[in-house]
Amino acid sequence: MEEQMKEWLEPYSTTDYKTSTFETMQEQAKEWLDQGKVDLFLGYKMVQGHPLPHFFKKDNLDEVDDLIFGQARYSLEKIATKIAAEHPEMKIGLLVRDCNQRALNVLYVWNQLNPDNMETINVNCCPSKLKKHADCSYLEPEKYGSYKKMVGIDNNMEVEAAEEFSQEERYNRWLYEFQKCLKCYGCRDICPVCFCKECSLEHPDLIATGSIPPEVPIFHLVRAVHMGGRCIDCGLCEDACPSDIPLRLLYRKVSETVEDVFGYKTGTHTDQSPFNLLGDEVTLEPKPL
Amino acid sequence: MDYKMIPSVCSYCGTGCGVLFQVMDGKLTGTMPMKTHPVNEGKLCIKGWNLHEHVVSDKRLQTPLLKKDGQLQEATWDQAIQTTAGKLKAIIKDHGPDSVGVLASAKITNEENYLAQKFARAVIGTNNVDHCARL
Repeated sequence: MEEQMKEWLEPYSTTDYKTSTFETMQEQAKEWLDQGKVDLFLGYKMVQGHPLPHFFKKDNLDEVDDLIFGQARYSLEKIATKIAAEHPEMKIGLLVRDCNQRALNVLYVWNQLNPDNMETINVNCCPSKLKKHADCSYLEPEKYGSYKKMVGIDNNMEVEAAEEFSQEERYNRWLYEFQKCLKCYGCRDICPVCFCKECSLEHPDLIATGSIPPEVPIFHLVRAVHMGGRCIDCGLCEDACPSDIPLRLLYRKVSETVEDVFGYKTGTHTDQSPFNLLGDEVTLEPKPL
Repeated sequence: MDYKMIPSVCSYCGTGCGVLFQVMDGKLTGTMPMKTHPVNEGKLCIKGWNLHEHVVSDKRLQTPLLKKDGQLQEATWDQAIQTTAGKLKAIIKDHGPDSVGVLASAKITNEENYLAQKFARAVIGTNNVDHCARL
């Protein structure tokens, strides 16, 4: 247990990425809280032997000495959106990896958070197609068994490799993966950019709630389509999936299509999404194929 | 403004998944999987994800209910316990202790479950004890 705790806490050395050691990070958070630049700082604290999301406040500045980061990865920005929904004026400081930052950008685009109220301290991040030179704070990718490799999709596969199967084989392999679904909605519930009040996955005319298993592949494809212009490839959905469905790979393909068709790289900037159809101006402008 | 994450263990079945309760301004608002918990490693089933719902549900009973004239009516704890004790005694007298079964719960503590089986075995005199989480 102790060894595992050490592993969770070990900060990784980085070369070209701004690194905050525990001390500089704590000093910065303290300064912001003390000066009132932020009302609240979201980071991690060791509680009962687990690194858990924790909220540091000005009235208990000494506690900031317990501010840590490590390999345990929660969507702090999703928590921030819940706080901002109740307390819109609250200024929130946040510990961010690159994936958290990408999610923040999407949440700014979709007006779920106000960038003027947010301050961030960057820490090491996970590997991603969108951030080539990122350091890995991830555990070694899980190794999958031979049966899954034979009939399903290896979660560590690249999009290109997964597309090499013939259409029929690809369909059957994905169907094998989708059929394992428990319909726990964990992928949606953990997703930092899933914030809709009404969800298609619970809409009585689209997908029936209260019955399992879910209809495949429609359940997963509906979610996949809705990830267009939203998914920032953080991989939290796949982490949370009790059935190890390769969701990250599926949504990577969606993001690739969005980039090919609209030239829109989700999460890397705060430019308006091509799927934002609110208002008078339609921004949906596909590139000529 | 206050926001807390309270670590706990899921009470729906015997697996023992680690959960985090999200509490905003003193109100329970959500459940999340604990990512470093050795049992579930950041995963939950649909029941676990909605663990907070039965705590804050409007449908939750606030008082005991007694059936009078075919209708459930609110009663005091004293009335409820007296009625139950009286009827249990009558059933045991007429049909024997094995005509009674005790169903314990995953929603109560280990100690309360211990008391429930002790009540079944020592007070009623039956081994008919079971509970919903024996999956």
